[in-house]
Amino acid sequence: MTNFLTRRGAALLAMLRVWRATLSLTGEVVVAALSPAVYNSATRTVVMKQIYFTAVQILVPFTLFAAILSFVLIQIVVGTAAKYGLSEYALEMVVRLLVLEVLPLVTALFVALRSGSAINTEVALMRINNELEALEDSGVDTLRLEFMPRVIGGMLSVLSLTAITSVLALVLAYLAVYGLQPWSLPDFTRVMGQVFGGGILAGLGAKALVFGLAVTVIPVAEGLATPKMMFMAPISVLRGMVRLFFVLMFIEVASLAFKYI
Amino acid sequence: MERAPISPAPPVPRAPLIKNLEFKIGLLLALTVLLIAAFFAYALYARGAFQVSNKLILTAEDVEGVSIGMPISYSGFPIGKVSRLHLLDDGQIQIELAIPREDARWLRESSVFTLEKALVGGAKIKAHTTNLQDPPLADGAVRPLYTGDSTKDIPVLIAKVKNILANVETMTAAGAPINQTLDHVEVMTGRMAGENGLIGGLMGSPEDARKVVKALDRADTLLASLNGVSLKVDGVLSKVDRRLFDQHGVMDQAQLAIVNVNAILGDARESLKKADAILANAQTASKDLTQITGNVAEATTDMGRLRLDIDDSLRKVNHLINEINKKWPFARDVEIKTP
Amino acid sequence: MPLRANLSVLDNIALIPQYRHNLDYETASGQAWNLLLLSGVESAALKRDPQLDHVERFTAKLLRAAIEQPPIILIDRPALLLPDTHYPRFLRGMLERLSDHLNDCWILDYRWNAPLYHPHPPSPAPR
Repeated sequence: MTNFLTRRGAALLAMLRVWRATLSLTGEVVVAALSPAVYNSATRTVVMKQIYFTAVQILVPFTLFAAILSFVLIQIVVGTAAKYGLSEYALEMVVRLLVLEVLPLVTALFVALRSGSAINTEVALMRINNELEALEDSGVDTLRLEFMPRVIGGMLSVLSLTAITSVLALVLAYLAVYGLQPWSLPDFTRVMGQVFGGGILAGLGAKALVFGLAVTVIPVAEGLATPKMMFMAPISVLRGMVRLFFVLMFIEVASLAFKYI
Repeated sequence: MERAPISPAPPVPRAPLIKNLEFKIGLLLALTVLLIAAFFAYALYARGAFQVSNKLILTAEDVEGVSIGMPISYSGFPIGKVSRLHLLDDGQIQIELAIPREDARWLRESSVFTLEKALVGGAKIKAHTTNLQDPPLADGAVRPLYTGDSTKDIPVLIAKVKNILANVETMTAAGAPINQTLDHVEVMTGRMAGENGLIGGLMGSPEDARKVVKALDRADTLLASLNGVSLKVDGVLSKVDRRLFDQHGVMDQAQLAIVNVNAILGDARESLKKADAILANAQTASKDLTQITGNVAEATTDMGRLRLDIDDSLRKVNHLINEINKKWPFARDVEIKTP
Repeated sequence: MPLRANLSVLDNIALIPQYRHNLDYETASGQAWNLLLLSGVESAALKRDPQLDHVERFTAKLLRAAIEQPPIILIDRPALLLPDTHYPRFLRGMLERLSDHLNDCWILDYRWNAPLYHPHPPSPAPR
């Protein structure tokens, strides 16, 4: 019994340690990202590569997917609203649903699946293979060269993917509700004005950035916490992804609660 | 970061790993910044940041359902929106509306403003201008906001409809005269239809027929009174109509309900007429023995149809009740069954 | 110390000056390329760690250390890194070719290997 409790307690403490490490890493990364001295030729290259792999490579397929998803959701919402005679609220509902909630979350999940897992694996392998120490020994700050650029790249990628898919969704929503004609723009504009207050816009931007931060910082932190044994790499990725999932959901729920409660 | 494929480039000081990396990133970031900036500007524009607008202040007692950003409509077209709400010391509420300059021409000195609440959906602020030749409404004008609440009349309406339904229910309840009659008619026609029971059917028919006629009379009276009730309800509605200025849309629901009741009553009347016809048939039949065999067959099928018709009417009434229940939360369950 | 596995040998070497002196990539990789040419393993420039043989990997690590021209480079038990090479001769040749870029180079090895370094041990520090 005592033994069991001890083990549970140790596990809990280990978990708390990882969370604390994540938070402190977040702090360090943010501080590093905000100090211009950190940016040099090498870090810029890493940032660009990160953006390339996270956003540019997947831009077209992801945008297509987002367009299809948006189209289907818009049709469902508009159709249902028309059935209950609430057509005038359909557009607002669509915009709130898609642009404020679904698309940022889907983008974050997609980037998490694709790049988050890759980052986690890479950092775990770098740590297991002592590559990090090798870099430090050659006078390279790994936080600045490897981690901070990944975080920056991830954040920018999530932000730009969200922006692109959201604008696309707005266009699709207009087409679905009003059809292919420009005369309803004032109507559309009025609804947009009702939905996008300053607070909502700032919240949307902040949410995309926090998603981007979570999607990169958590895998990095989890990778850094990997014990130096080869067989721990998959476990590290697994843990990182689970934590990332919960953090993303937590952010989403928190933003919903903040907006509507 | 994923591992990029190794380029088999010749080992001159090397070809870049990814073609046009800088260009692609730059393009993406520029696009992002452009989209975000454009959207931000659009949102500002949509919220009226670049719009010159007139101020209009409406005062009201109760602004339940009014929210910032809510549109004010003129003939169904939004011409402005609520920009501020505040409560004065004397308990009055001031609603500040921003009316864009180009739309301000719809508002005149003689304009009247109403706040309407519908059963479904939010409240609506409407502007009514009867004479567009009047001098235009000045910037910052203060006007009262009239509140018309159609929902207040619904309970009365519901009570009346319930009354009607109760009547229909007693009429159709197990053991009610009309049902007994119908049963008897059924038994009778059954007997008539049977090979040996022709005389039995004939023997039983006069009393039954009388009962049926009596029941039908009663049903007719009932329908007349129902009609009276619905007329009264109509009267209430028209009164409500008169009390408000321009009420289409708000009372639609209630009026629709009444129309439904009327239609159903019409149906019921139709059914009863058919029953009359059948009974007339039966009576003729009892007088004229020779015709009877042919007519009996007709009568029995007609009887079945009558039954279906009445069932149908009842189903419609039931449906109406359900509708009203759905729309009006405090109505309790009412169920009508044909036995 | 291991190389970064997802960068080519050239990038691994170039990364150091690029990061530390904020050189642009062309300059840094030019420096790295020169070193690779000098040491004669330029064919490995675009390979990555898992594709390298022992000699190439050893050279890459040595060059990564050498590109910053540190005062001392310490090679600890070269036999572990070069299991299938007659390493004393190889090392000597390599160090001579790179002599312009090296200040001082120490090789740590077991005492019983000391005779292998004759006649010209750079600094056989016995152990």
